[in-house]
Amino acid sequence: MKQHQVTIFAQPRPELLERVLRVVRHRGFQLSAINMAPQPDCQELRITVTVASERPIQLLQSQLAKLIDVLQVDTQALDVAPQEAFQIRA
Amino acid sequence: MNGAQYIVNALHQQGVTQVFGYPGGAIMPVYDALYDGGIPHLLCRHEQGAAMAAIGYARSTRQVGVCIATSGPGATNLITGLADAMLDSVPVVAITGQVGRDFIGTDAFQEIDVLGMSLSCTKHSFMVTDPDELGAVIAEAFQIARSGRPGPVLIDVPKDVQMALVEAKPVMHLVDETAPLCDLALAEARRLLAAASKPVLYVGGGVVLADAVDELRSFAAITGMPSVTTLKGIGTLDPDSPGFLGMLGMHGTKAANLAVQESDLLLVVGARFDDRVTGKLSAFAPHAKVIHLDVDAAELGKRRAVQVSLQADFKQVLPALAMPLQVAAWQDHCLTMRQQFAWRYDHPGDTIYAPLLLKQLSDSLPENTVVTSDVGQHQMWVAQHMQFDSPRNHISSSGLGTMGFGLPAAVGAKVARPQDEVVLVSGDGSFMMNVQELGTLRRAQLPVKMVLLDNQRLGMVRQWQELFFDGRFSETILTDNPDFVCMASAFGIPGETISRKEEVAPALARLLASPTAYLLHVSISADDNVWPLVPPGVANEHMLEAKP
Repeated sequence: MKQHQVTIFAQPRPELLERVLRVVRHRGFQLSAINMAPQPDCQELRITVTVASERPIQLLQSQLAKLIDVLQVDTQALDVAPQEAFQIRA
Repeated sequence: MNGAQYIVNALHQQGVTQVFGYPGGAIMPVYDALYDGGIPHLLCRHEQGAAMAAIGYARSTRQVGVCIATSGPGATNLITGLADAMLDSVPVVAITGQVGRDFIGTDAFQEIDVLGMSLSCTKHSFMVTDPDELGAVIAEAFQIARSGRPGPVLIDVPKDVQMALVEAKPVMHLVDETAPLCDLALAEARRLLAAASKPVLYVGGGVVLADAVDELRSFAAITGMPSVTTLKGIGTLDPDSPGFLGMLGMHGTKAANLAVQESDLLLVVGARFDDRVTGKLSAFAPHAKVIHLDVDAAELGKRRAVQVSLQADFKQVLPALAMPLQVAAWQDHCLTMRQQFAWRYDHPGDTIYAPLLLKQLSDSLPENTVVTSDVGQHQMWVAQHMQFDSPRNHISSSGLGTMGFGLPAAVGAKVARPQDEVVLVSGDGSFMMNVQELGTLRRAQLPVKMVLLDNQRLGMVRQWQELFFDGRFSETILTDNPDFVCMASAFGIPGETISRKEEVAPALARLLASPTAYLLHVSISADDNVWPLVPPGVANEHMLEAKP
């Protein structure tokens, strides 16, 4: 499965993370890492997720971009999946 | 004014002239505000009925449908309606009461996390925690519901917010933005169209949502492309135009499915390669290049790779693509298929053949009649055998396939268009799912004409059990149905039962002549199936036309 890092810029809302995670799961992507660090008085929230799927990342990107509170979605392919890296070290 | 009065005032200023709903504890301030008038409210007999009435209202017009319910079970009962609106892209705004802010998260009486439940079945949702945000939230909710690809929006309002003092600020009206067309993609689309020798126009429900029916019909006339439609697209194309081949997909016409399978170019307008349309996806239109037009970028390339995609307003893009095409041989071939595979209505014996009855009904309806249907065999027969001159006149739960949809949708359509005839075609399984809405017909004295095709079965499931589950009819036999005519009479609605072919014409005449609601209960054979049928997992050209 291909791994991608997806960065989501959004308006801060209490339920935003739930919306994002629901889309990730429902559209067929496995979550392996997540980071969100809300800043006080920040007008824009950034969530970074690492996901894996057989499906093209554009399917997730376009569904996340449809969320009303989401302003921008960037994706970046990760060369080596963490599991593979772990196996090499072992 | 308080928050509840502000909500009613804001709905009025959004142009809302009708709401559907059901009161309860946490929404009582809003119902108190409605008591003073301003916006007519129709009490449905279940919140699901209110949501589906709002859908019928919205789909038969260009308005946003509005429904109101209380917290807890009121809101959970709305959910199926919201999911239906989500799958069929219907602009609906739902307002739910919520327990007071201090009680949220305490498992209070009739408290459930409605915002959490709404995430998967709405286009967007709000919980209003600050009374001063009400104006902005309502304006945004209406703009989201009707803009781009429309959909349902839920506003959850705690009871103390409804009762709080709110400053009467002017209500905002937000304006939609349209993006410019991509010239490169347009040029490539025109090149593919000009090069095609077997093009097919594949039309979905997005065209009427974009209010682009005229542009689409003009495009079809200028290009001369043979055309097919999805269930939601029915009525978008002129059924009498020579290039129109009917509905495609699992229960589509043979001509539509064969034309798509043979085509070398599909121009897809406001459709989404739904699994009920494509059959085996990898074998769907295997020789065709694809130009996909949709307002929703997430649909482009979702199920089928495309050569050109355009996220566009159809009112702009269709005129920009229209040009005469040199495809006379292909047009002749498609016309021959249309004639060769036209529906046949010969049926042995005295029992009523539902497809023929629906054709007779269709032929006798006045112009601009709205037909709503439920879900199952009768729904497919309506799609196959009735003709529609506008997509706003055929209202059927297409994406979610919600049994029980037809009666409340007919309520909403009749309220929206009292001058037009509204006919419900239902089945005995579906009818029972929201039968309580007969009470709403009675309450509002709505003369909805009901045709109930009763085979004493859950017919579509029975058909699949017959064909694919060795005839093991598990829980699909309904010989214990109630006396439907008697039940209608309990709501003051007259009706009759017919079971023989010669009874059909006079009964249809009585149905349509009735000044009040009327139930025509039609007893049909359990053995009649919907044909053609594309079995699961095969290409659309391998349709069954009778039991193998």
